[in-house]
Amino acid sequence: MNRTPKILNSKVAGYSSLITFAVLLIAWLAGFSSRLFAVIRFESIIHEFDPWFNYRATAYMVQHGWYKFLNWFDERAWYPLGRIVGGTVYPGLMITSGGIHYLLHMLNIPVHIRDICVFLAPVFSGLTSISTYLLTKELWSPGAGLFAASFIAIVPGYISRSVAGSYDNEGIAIFALQFTYFLWVRSVKTGSVFWSAAAALSYFYMVSAWGGYVFIINLIPLHVFVLLLMGRYSPRLLTSYSTFYILGLLFSMQIPFVGFQPIRTSEHMAAMGVFVLLMAVATLRHLQSVLSRNEFRKLFIVGGLLAGVLVFVAVVVLTMMGVVAPWSGRFYSLWDTGYAKIHIPIIASVSEHQPTTWFSFFFDLHILVCAFPVGVWYCIKQINDERVFVVLYAISAVYFAGVMVRLMLTLTPVVCMLAGVAFSGLLDVFLQEDASKRMGSIGHSPAETDEHEESLEKKTLYDKAGKLKHRTKHDPAHDNGISSNLKSIVILAVLMILMMFAVHCTWVTSNAYSSPSIVLAFHNSQDGSRNILDDFREAYYWLSQNTADDARIMSWWDYGYQIAGMANRTTLVDNNTWNNSHIALVGKAMSSTEEKSYEIMTSLDVDYVLVIFGGVIGYSGDDINKFLWMVRIAEGEHPKDIKESDYFTDRGEFRVDAEGAPALLNCLMYKLSYYRFGDLKLDYRGPSGYDRTRNAVIGNKDFDLTYLEEAYTTEHWLVRIYRVKKPFEFNRPSLKAKERHFPPTNFISRKNLKRRKGYIRNRPTVVKGKRTLK
Amino acid sequence: MKISPVLLNLFFLTCFCAIKAKIVNKNVERSLDLSSQLVKSTIKITAEDTTGKPLKEYVLILNEPNLSYISVTDGSKNEIQARKSNGGLQYVITFGSSSAHQIILVETVSTKNIMPYPEEIKQHEIQFAKYVGLVHLYSNYETYSQKTIVKLGTSNILSHTQVKPFSTATDKLIFGPYENIKALSKQELVIHYENQTPFMTVKNLERTIEVSHWGNIAIQESIQLAHSGAKLKGSFSRYDFQKDGRSSQSAIKSYRTILPSSASGVYYRDTNGNISTSNMNSLNDFIDLELRPRFPLFGGWKTQYTIGYNVPSYEYMYSNGKKYQLKMHLIDHIYDNMAIDKAAIKIVLPEGADNIQLTTPYTINRRQNELVHTYLDTVGRPVISFSKLNLVESHIADFTLNYTFSRVSLLQEPFLVSGFIYIIFVLTIVLLRLDFSIALHSHKD
Repeated sequence: MNRTPKILNSKVAGYSSLITFAVLLIAWLAGFSSRLFAVIRFESIIHEFDPWFNYRATAYMVQHGWYKFLNWFDERAWYPLGRIVGGTVYPGLMITSGGIHYLLHMLNIPVHIRDICVFLAPVFSGLTSISTYLLTKELWSPGAGLFAASFIAIVPGYISRSVAGSYDNEGIAIFALQFTYFLWVRSVKTGSVFWSAAAALSYFYMVSAWGGYVFIINLIPLHVFVLLLMGRYSPRLLTSYSTFYILGLLFSMQIPFVGFQPIRTSEHMAAMGVFVLLMAVATLRHLQSVLSRNEFRKLFIVGGLLAGVLVFVAVVVLTMMGVVAPWSGRFYSLWDTGYAKIHIPIIASVSEHQPTTWFSFFFDLHILVCAFPVGVWYCIKQINDERVFVVLYAISAVYFAGVMVRLMLTLTPVVCMLAGVAFSGLLDVFLQEDASKRMGSIGHSPAETDEHEESLEKKTLYDKAGKLKHRTKHDPAHDNGISSNLKSIVILAVLMILMMFAVHCTWVTSNAYSSPSIVLAFHNSQDGSRNILDDFREAYYWLSQNTADDARIMSWWDYGYQIAGMANRTTLVDNNTWNNSHIALVGKAMSSTEEKSYEIMTSLDVDYVLVIFGGVIGYSGDDINKFLWMVRIAEGEHPKDIKESDYFTDRGEFRVDAEGAPALLNCLMYKLSYYRFGDLKLDYRGPSGYDRTRNAVIGNKDFDLTYLEEAYTTEHWLVRIYRVKKPFEFNRPSLKAKERHFPPTNFISRKNLKRRKGYIRNRPTVVKGKRTLK
Repeated sequence: MKISPVLLNLFFLTCFCAIKAKIVNKNVERSLDLSSQLVKSTIKITAEDTTGKPLKEYVLILNEPNLSYISVTDGSKNEIQARKSNGGLQYVITFGSSSAHQIILVETVSTKNIMPYPEEIKQHEIQFAKYVGLVHLYSNYETYSQKTIVKLGTSNILSHTQVKPFSTATDKLIFGPYENIKALSKQELVIHYENQTPFMTVKNLERTIEVSHWGNIAIQESIQLAHSGAKLKGSFSRYDFQKDGRSSQSAIKSYRTILPSSASGVYYRDTNGNISTSNMNSLNDFIDLELRPRFPLFGGWKTQYTIGYNVPSYEYMYSNGKKYQLKMHLIDHIYDNMAIDKAAIKIVLPEGADNIQLTTPYTINRRQNELVHTYLDTVGRPVISFSKLNLVESHIADFTLNYTFSRVSLLQEPFLVSGFIYIIFVLTIVLLRLDFSIALHSHKD
C-alpha cells in the first residue's frame, strides 16, 4: 500500500516498483518453500507439542463457533481441575486460521482446518518479510528494505519457529511485531493520528497473538523516553504516543487472558510511566510558552517534586495493597539467568528457556550476526527519531536473546534489518560509479533465485578490479577514488558471502528445524534406506481407539497436549504448566514406589499411565532422561517424601545399572520403562536388558507389576502404556488361615439326610380353589 | 374388512395346491464352509412332485440368522426367480421350466453365526469358535436322503454333535447320509473347533465416489474396523509378541486389500495423518495393497482409517451425446472373507448433472439426494446416497447410474477463475490510478 503512491509517470519509478514487487514476491516464495521440508519429507502434519494444543483449540473453534470457544471449559485437561481455555489462551492464532477457514469455506473451497494450520506460518513469513521491508524502508532506504526482506524470508532464526506444521503463536506474532513497529515508526515520522491508531490496532492483533506483546509495550515507551532524554520532544511524538498508548491499552484489555494486567502488572508500568512523563513534558512545554521564565522555574521545581512523590507513593501503595501484581518468575529469569534454576525448576526444565550459546547465534543468523553491528553503527552515525528506535530495538533484543534461547526469535528481525542496512550501505559505496544504475542495484535478493544472481552479475560487469581489504576502512564521504577492480572484487566477495548465507540457511532449515518430532526418521546405515518410526502416533491412536472415552491418562506434562490432540483423552497435566503442585503430584507418583504411587493414582482416578522409553532404539529424549526434573519438581512440593539425593549413587551419579541408587531402581518410572526389558536381547551377542540410550545393562531386571499391567507397547518400545488395575483386580497379599476373620452369623443349616431339598420360609399355604390371604 | 374374504380364499387356495401337489426332496446335499468367520453354505436340492405333475413352486425356508447373501440357481446354473415371503424367512421359488423333477442350487452366506468360544483368551492362546446350526435342512417337505459336509479348515475339533452316521476327514466333518427325514424336523448341530482366521468386521463403511468429467474418478473409503473374535484377556506384552510371532495368532497384523489395476494416487491415513506401514504391489489385473494398521488388532480392539485412490473415468463411464452412464462396483474388496455391518455409499456427480437414474444389483435403502459444494461450485453437485446393512464379498457387483450432462458446463469453472482474476486486476488498476483521499496531504515518499 505504501509503496504505491509514487511518481508513476517516470520510467525509473516503474522499474523500481517492478523490482520491489519481484523481490518481495520471490522472497515470499523462497521463504514459503524453504519451510516446506517437513511437509515434503514427511507429510502435512502438526509438529511438536504446543502446536497440537493450538490445533485442537482451532478445530474446536471451527466446529463450535467463536463464543463457545471463548467459554470453553476443557474438562479433558488437568483432571480433575479442568482448564478454562477461552480465558487462558492468546486467541489471535485461532482466530486467524479460523477466519481463513471461514473465508475459504464461504468460497466453497473445502480445505481441512489442519492444512490451514500447517501452512499458516509459512504464509505469514511472506507477510513478515513485506512488513520488514516496509519498516527498513522507513528507517533507511528501499534497497536496505529489500535486503532485509530477503534475509528474514530465509534466516534460520525465524524459520525455526515457522516451518510448515509448527503452528504456534510466534509464527504470526513476528509479523504483527514488525508491522506494529512499522506503523509506529510511520506515526512518529508523520505525527498523524491515523498511523498511530493503525499501530494500536496492529498492537491489538499482536496482543491477541502472543505473550511477547510485552516487548512492544516496553520498547515503544523506551523509545519515547530516550527521545525525551535526547531532547527530541516534538508534538508529533506526543500525538502518536498518546494515541497509541490509550488505544493500545484499551484494545489489549479486550483479550480475556490479558484482562486487567496492562494496568496492574509491573511489565506494563513503564508504558504508563512514560505516558505520564510525556504528558508532564508536554504540559511544561506549553507552560513554558505561556509563563515567564521565573514563574516557570518555580513551577517546574515544585510541580516536578510533587509529581514525583505522588507517583512514587501511588506505586508503593498500590503494590502493598496488592492491586499491582507481583513480578512474575519468568520475568525475573529474564534479568537473572540463575533465578529460574534456583527457584522454579519447571521453567528451567524447558530447554528453550536456557541461556543462549554463542554458537547458536552464528547457527541461526550466520553472516548477519557479523554485519549487524555495522548496521547499528550506520544508524548511530546518521541518527534521527526512528533510528533511535531501531538502535534500542537492537540492543534490547540482543540482551534478551542472550538470556533465553527462545528469544532469539525477537532478535532475528532486527538483525535482518540492520544487516540489510549494512549490505545496502556497502553496495552504495561500491556500486556508486554509474549513478543511474544505482536504483536497481540495491534491490537484490540473496535468495537462491537464478534471475537475481544473473542480474547482479550483469551489474558487476560495469565495475573494475580492486582489493577487498580496504572495505571496512572506507567512509562513504571520500571513496570517489576506489579503483574499479577493487569494487568488483568486493562485490564478488559480498555475493559469495550472501550465497553462502543462503546455502547455510537452507542447510540449517533442512537439517535442524524440519523435524516434526512426532514422526522420527533415520537412515539405515547398511542399505541407506529411510526408516520411519511412527511410535508416537501408534500409541496415541491406540489410546483413541481402544480405551474408554473418558479414560484418564497420566503422563509427564510434555505429552499432555499430544495426548489431548491425537488421542482425545483426558490428561492430568499438560504443557500449559499452570499448576505446579499438580505437576509435582504426578512427579511424585512417577518417582515413588509402585505401592505408594498406586495411592496417588487412585486418588487421581488414573486409568492409564503412559511413559516414553527410548532404550530400545537409543532415543535420548525419553522419560528416564527427564526423570531428574520430575524428582526435582516433586521435591519442591513434597520435600518430606521425595529427595533428589536418594536417586543418585553415593558418588553422585545418576545411573540405571546395578550400581544405581535403590530408590531409582524401584520407583514407578523405572519399573514402567523397563518392565520385561530385562528379557529382551537387542542383538545376539549383547547381554539382555541393554539400554542403548544410557549404554548400560539395567540394574533391576526381574520384577513384576502388582498394581498395573501392560496395556500396550509400541513397535519400537518408544511409548509404553500401562493400565492401572482396579482394587479388586490385583492379587492382594494372601492372608494366612489363622489371621482370617469371618463375620459371625447365626444361620444354622436345617438340612439333614432326609431333607435335602431346600425350602422356602414362610411359604403361603395354598389351598386349591381358594384365594390366598394377604 | 373387505379384504379378508379374499385373503381367506387365497389361503385356502394355496393350501389346496399344497395338499394336492406332494413335493418331496429326493436328495439334499449340503456343504457348509466354516473355515472363516463367514458361514458359506451350498445346498443342492433335488425336488420332485410325487404326483407326477410339473413342479412349479417350491418354498424354501431359511432360518439362518444374519443371512447376508443368497443366490438361487437351477441345475444348469441359470438364475431362477425367488421371492421373499413371510417376513423374509421363506423364499418362494417359481420354476420356469415345467418338469416334475427340479434341481435347485442355493448358495448363502451369513455373518456372525460362528462365535468365538471361549469369548476371552489370553495373548498366546488359540482361538476356538463354536457354530450352532442344524444337522438337516429345515424344509417344508419330506426328505428322502440327505448328506451334509462341513468344511472346517482344521483338524482340531473339540466337540461336535454326534448324529450317526457321521465321519471325520482331515479338515472335514461329514454327516449323513440320513434317510427319510420328516418335514420340519429340527436337530441342532453344534461344532466347537479351532478357527484361527481373522474375525474382522467392518462396523461402518463410508464409500464416496466422486466423478469428474475432466477424466478422473476419486474413490474414498472410510472404514471402521473391529476385531470381532475372542477378546484379549489380561495384558498385552510386546516382548512376547516380538519374541515369537506365532504366539499371538489371533491378532491381525496385516491384511490385503485389492484395488482396481488402474488405481493411482493411493493413500492410507487416519485422523492423525498418514499410516506409514503399507506396501503396494501392482499386478496385472489388480493392485494388491498390504495394509498394516498402526497397531496389531487383538480381540475387541478397533481401528479406523481412510483409504482413497483415483481411477481414470474412461474405464467406468460410457457416453452417448449428452447421456452418460457410470458403471462401478457398489462396494469393493476390503479383505478376504470380509463382513460389513453397514455401508453408506455416496456418488458425487459433476455440477449440472440431471435426470439421474440408479440401478443396483440388489435392493438398497435409497436416501434423499443431496447437494454438496466443493471447489469452485456455484449451485452444488448432486449426491446420490444409499446404504445397506450386512454385506459380504458376494455383494461386490456393479451399479449403473444414468444421467445427462452437457459438456458446456465443463467450461464454467475455468471461466469463473479467469473472470475472478481479471476482476482483481481491473480493481487493482483502478485503485492504483485513482486518488480517493478526501483531503490534500503531502506524503514523504
